[in-house]
Amino acid sequence: MFTPEYLIQQTFNGIVFGAMYALLALGMTVIYGILRLIHFAHGALITVGAFGFYLFFAVLGLPFPAAIVLIIGLGALMGVILDVVAYKKAVGGPEVSMLITSLGFYILIENLMKLIVSPQPYAFPTPELLDRIYSMPALTFRTIDIFIIATSIAIMVFFTLFVKRTKMGVAMRATAESGEAARMVGINIGRVISISFIIASAIAGITGFMWGAKYGQISYNMGFMAGVKAFVAIVIGGVGSIPGAMLGGFILGILEMFSVAFLPPGYAAYRDGIVFFILILILIVKPSGILGQKEVE
Amino acid sequence: MLKVEGIDVHYGIIPAVRELSLSVEKGQIATLVGANGAGKSTTLKAVMGALIPKRGTVLYKGEDVTGVPADKRVGMGIALVPEGRQIFSRLTVRENLNLGAYHRNDKKGIINDQEWIYGLFPVLKERGSQLAGTLSGGEQQMLALGRGLMSHPQLLMLDEPSLGLAPIVVVDIYKVIEEINRSGITILLVEQNINMAMKISSYAYIMETGKIRTEGKPDEVMKRENIMKVYLGE
Repeated sequence: MFTPEYLIQQTFNGIVFGAMYALLALGMTVIYGILRLIHFAHGALITVGAFGFYLFFAVLGLPFPAAIVLIIGLGALMGVILDVVAYKKAVGGPEVSMLITSLGFYILIENLMKLIVSPQPYAFPTPELLDRIYSMPALTFRTIDIFIIATSIAIMVFFTLFVKRTKMGVAMRATAESGEAARMVGINIGRVISISFIIASAIAGITGFMWGAKYGQISYNMGFMAGVKAFVAIVIGGVGSIPGAMLGGFILGILEMFSVAFLPPGYAAYRDGIVFFILILILIVKPSGILGQKEVE
Repeated sequence: MLKVEGIDVHYGIIPAVRELSLSVEKGQIATLVGANGAGKSTTLKAVMGALIPKRGTVLYKGEDVTGVPADKRVGMGIALVPEGRQIFSRLTVRENLNLGAYHRNDKKGIINDQEWIYGLFPVLKERGSQLAGTLSGGEQQMLALGRGLMSHPQLLMLDEPSLGLAPIVVVDIYKVIEEINRSGITILLVEQNINMAMKISSYAYIMETGKIRTEGKPDEVMKRENIMKVYLGE
C-alpha cells in the first residue's frame, strides 16, 4: 500500500484540492486583512460560480471560454452586491455586526440557491476536454487536475504581483495594516474595500467551476464545507497573511488526502472531521499559524 | 490658511474639544501646547478630517471643509504626521513614501519631492527597500515626515514629532521642521516638548481641557502664564 507510486499519487491529489482551498483562502484572507471580517459568505460564492457554469455551459450552450469568463464576472458582481448591500452599512460598526451580516448572507445565498435549483444534487457538466484520464506509471490524473493546478498558480502569481507592484495593491496592504493611517495619506478606503471584494469574489467564481469539475457533482450547499476549509487553511498559514493563506491551502489539501489515504478503509467519511481536528491542533500548538504575524498596534 | 471656528469634537459621546477656535497664517509655524488629554491631537484630527466636528466650521484657504473626508483633504494640500508616527511597518520605506503621493499624478513633481526628501533625510534613501518596521524610532519619525511631505502639502500638521526620541535626534528633527517651513510650507505643531516648540514657532495656543486657554506670541505667552507650573505640573 505505501509504495512510492501511492505517495506520489496522494500528494498530487492533495495539491489539486489544496489549490482550490488556497484560492478561496486567498480571497478570504484579503477581506479579513482589510475589514477584520471572517467572510463566511465567501464559500457560498463557489456555489454561485458552479451553478452559473451549469447555466451558461449546459443550459444556454455557450462555449467553454465564454462560460468561464461569465462566471468570473458573476463572481465579481456578487462581490459588488455583498459590498454595497451588506458591508458598506456595517463597516465602522462593531465587528460582530459584520460577522453576523456575513453569516446571514451565507444563509441567504444558500437558501436562494435551494429555491432556484432544488435540493437535488446535479451532475456537473465538465467539458470533455477536461475530463480525459491519463495514466502514467506513477500517476493517474484527469485533465481537469492540470487545469486546476495551472490556473490557480497563474491566479496566485498575478495576485501576488498585483499586491506587490501596483499602486492599488500597495494601498490594500497599507489599509490592512491601519485603515486610519491609510485614510490620512489619501487612500479612499471605500474603494479599496470594494476592489478587494470584487477580486476575491471573482476568484471564488472560477473556483466554483473547478470544485464542480473535480467532484463531478454540485449542490446548493456545497459552499459550506468549502468556506470552512478555506478558513482552516487561513488559520494554518497565519491569519491575515496572503502567502500564508496560499501555503495553508496546499498544506490542508495534502494533509487531508494523506489522512484519508492512510486511514483504514471505511474511515474516509471522516475526511471533513479530520479537517477540524487539524484546526484544533493548530490552534493549540501555533495559534498564529505558519507565516502569521503578531498584530502591530 | 487655516481658520477653525468654534468646533466641538466628540469621541462617541465623550466631548474632547469644546468651542475651539484657532487660525494659522500662511507661512507660519503655529504651535498648540498643553497637558496630556487637553485635546490637541483631537484638534489636528478634526482639521485633517479623521474626526468630524459636531459643531463649528473648519475653513481651509477660505473654503469650508468641515465635512470633507480625510482622503480628499490630502489632495487639497493638508497633511498630518500623526502621533506615534503610524507608518506602515510591513511595507518598505519606499512604499511608505510612495503612498504619501497616492493621490498625485504629476510624475515630475513626485520625483522632485522625493529628491528633496532624500536630501533632508539621506537615511530614507539608503534604507529604501527595508521594511519600515525595522527602522529605529528616529528613522521612523523621519519616514513619517517624509511620507507627509510626499503629498506636497501646503499645511503640514505634526503631532508630537519629538515623542519617544533621544534629545539629539529631536534637535535634528526640529532643524528639518524649520527647513520645511522655510520652503514655504505652513506648519501647525502639537507638542509636549514645550521649549522646542516655542523656540521655532511664531504663534502659540495653550490648550486646557478641550479649550484654548490663552494665545499669543510664544515669548509673551510664556511670560504671561507660568506655563510649566500651571499646565504641565512641573
